[in-house]
Amino acid sequence: MGVVSQMPVAEGKSVQQTVELLTRKLEILGAEKQGTFCVDCETYHTAASTLGSQGQAGKLMYVMHNSEYPLSCFALFENGPCLIADTNFDVLMVKLKGFFQSAKASKIETRGTRYQYCDFLVKVGTVTMGPSARGISVEVEYGPCVVASDCWSLLLEFLQSFLGSHTPGAPAVFGNRHDVVYGPADTMVQYMELFNKIRKQQQVPVAGIR
Amino acid sequence: MSGVRAVRISIESACEKQVQEVGLDGTETYLQPLSMSQNLARLAQRIDFSQGSGSEEEEAAGAEGDAQDWAGAGSSADQDDEEGLVKFQPSLWPWDSVRNNLRSALTEMCVLYDVLSIVRDKKFMTLDPVSQDALPPKQNPQTLQLISKKKSLAGAAQILLKGAERLTKSVTENQENKLQRDFNSELLRLRQHWKLRKVGDKILGDLSYRSAGSLFPHHGTFEVIKNTDIDLDKKIPEDYCPLDVQIPSDLEGSAYIKVSIQKQAPDIGDLGTVNLFKRPLPKSKPGSPHWQTKLEAAQNVLLCKEIFAQLSREAVQIKSQIPHIVVKNQIISQPFPSLQLSISLCHSSNDKKSQKSATEKPSPEDHLYVLEHNLHLLIREFHKQTLSSIMMPHPASAPFGHKRMRLSGPQAFDKNEINSLQSSEGLLEKIIKQAKHIFLRSRTAATIDSLASRIEDPQIQAHWSNINDVYESSVKVLITSQGYEQICKSIQLQLNIGVEQIRVVHRDGRVITLSHQEQELQDFLLSQFVMDLKVAVRLWFSFPVTSVKIFQKVMFYKIANGVIFVDHSKKCSGIKWKVETLFIKWSCLCLHLALASYDFFQNSFQIFSRNFDLKCLQINYKHKEAITSKGVLFLKNN
Repeated sequence: MGVVSQMPVAEGKSVQQTVELLTRKLEILGAEKQGTFCVDCETYHTAASTLGSQGQAGKLMYVMHNSEYPLSCFALFENGPCLIADTNFDVLMVKLKGFFQSAKASKIETRGTRYQYCDFLVKVGTVTMGPSARGISVEVEYGPCVVASDCWSLLLEFLQSFLGSHTPGAPAVFGNRHDVVYGPADTMVQYMELFNKIRKQQQVPVAGIR
Repeated sequence: MSGVRAVRISIESACEKQVQEVGLDGTETYLQPLSMSQNLARLAQRIDFSQGSGSEEEEAAGAEGDAQDWAGAGSSADQDDEEGLVKFQPSLWPWDSVRNNLRSALTEMCVLYDVLSIVRDKKFMTLDPVSQDALPPKQNPQTLQLISKKKSLAGAAQILLKGAERLTKSVTENQENKLQRDFNSELLRLRQHWKLRKVGDKILGDLSYRSAGSLFPHHGTFEVIKNTDIDLDKKIPEDYCPLDVQIPSDLEGSAYIKVSIQKQAPDIGDLGTVNLFKRPLPKSKPGSPHWQTKLEAAQNVLLCKEIFAQLSREAVQIKSQIPHIVVKNQIISQPFPSLQLSISLCHSSNDKKSQKSATEKPSPEDHLYVLEHNLHLLIREFHKQTLSSIMMPHPASAPFGHKRMRLSGPQAFDKNEINSLQSSEGLLEKIIKQAKHIFLRSRTAATIDSLASRIEDPQIQAHWSNINDVYESSVKVLITSQGYEQICKSIQLQLNIGVEQIRVVHRDGRVITLSHQEQELQDFLLSQFVMDLKVAVRLWFSFPVTSVKIFQKVMFYKIANGVIFVDHSKKCSGIKWKVETLFIKWSCLCLHLALASYDFFQNSFQIFSRNFDLKCLQINYKHKEAITSKGVLFLKNN
């Protein structure tokens, strides 16, 4: 199970430098670099033609990919269900142009390095929207456990060890269901929320932790 | 009953005289009873001569006759007159009938007598038995059944014979027609074995393995043409076939994959020499037509090409420590440092030119037929995998690929899980592993055999297991000393020969891993030899002396293993004697050890002293002079 959080940029430094700081900290800790990762997200909204006369706001649908699950594609609504599909889903979206239209300039992604520290998987990435870097995302995953309530405290401790004061609280994904099995969909929901938050901030962020 | 008065019974005789008439006054006139002669006459009249004794028919007639007699015996004219029908005339005297009957009887008797006397002479009359009718057949119904069955069977047999006749006629017709086979029937036969389709006015066929799961891009189409170069005037040749197949030009001839292992690495300049010796064509089945053999050979060539293409592709793509070399039609790789494995595709076309040049005789040890066969099996395995139900998509709209791979998208598999699904080993790697194992196994066998032939005591036995894996074999090695087999059972080794190393499991549980180096195995086995020797020698040391004979100059000990002669000049007794005997025993032991050690150590004492028991060897050396100076001669029993 894993937790995704945003790391605020340190004062007076750029995004890249902050990322370098973090990665150096991790390497000192003893984590080994294991390549790169990438998580991206595209937004679609339901076409106006399907709305009918009610005039309700079109729902937003996010189609995301995660390099951790290379053969899968995730599609989710804001508070709704998350669909895990094959990569052919992208082709399907092209066919569904009439119903789902891509929102302008909506592609947001995070790229960075992947570190492995025993059972922990840490991914530090730069969130970019177009050409500009908007923030830093940190994902920590504890492989062996899939039940949130059992290992949340362990994760918190680990996060504190290298994030220091920027440690986030319990993610909203868990909510009340602490004993439910954690899945990849939950990770994607967390990313989606993170991206939305970053999208709302117009400049390089100073905003707090979720 | 007592007390009751007896009843008076009076008896009257019934012989009363017959009443003739009863007078008016009641007086009865009695008839006079018949007198004796009258009675006799009456009775005589009642005899019926026509009645036999005991015959019923005649009794009835006799009863009738009686009634008539009674009628006559009444001799009352009144009665006779009333019965006018009575044939019996009123007789004159009662003996009349008797007399008549007797007279007729006499007549008949005379006649009979006369006949019998004539018959006796046999001159005029003879007796002949009456011919009897044949016995009425009691088994009548059964015979009828038999006859009816016979008839019906004959009818059925007739029908069957007619049918058989027709069949034989048609068979003979076919036989005749065989010589004049026509194109269509031959085409039908071809269709039974190969896939054909009609394109325009050409008939094309498919001899590739694509329908069996191959992914090789060769088209593999052959054309079926009519054989029209026949001169009807001349006699039709025996093997004439109205059909001919034209195979693609690059599939002509025959091919095979040659896998061989060479010890020394050749020069780079030698690469590129293409080995093309013609293996004799596999004999086709005697009844199969010539197009069948042609097509099968072409298909084999295609398969060999596919195998070689797959191997060369992998040789180039896969990264290994020592890169594989692909030259023309050969792939060369080095599984072990001093070993070279070469896989080559030998394709010989049927041209007459090349037949002349192929004079090389293939050396049989060179070509590893097992590996060639395994290559064929592996590529077929690969073909089957592409067509297996795991690969075929369910539902039909899903993409091709392994079933679990299709699920990896919707179930969000991560990289580790995906890697575990995909088989990582290619054809080349598998073949190289198999070749390594074969080589290691044969070398181990050679090592054990050479040791066994070189060293006579102790003896080494190897029991190879029959059931082996492609990548693993095992052998059980026993080292024993002659005469001490039951006692020295401790040296039993199980060798598991893998792909690159040999694992030795000792009887006491120790596991040692040896590398592929030949010398390591030899050293190890020799060390085991000496261990066994030590045990044997220790036992031998405690030999019992069976008899001692003392002569003037020589002492003679007889022991289980041989005879010891000791030369001594003075007598000794007591403790000195014991020391003396002990010393002799010890010397013999060392001598035995020295002899045994000398056998297989030869000249290389220095090398082995590191591995073996130093003390043992040193004693050996130290006492060598002592032995000779003491003059002990030991003759060992063989």
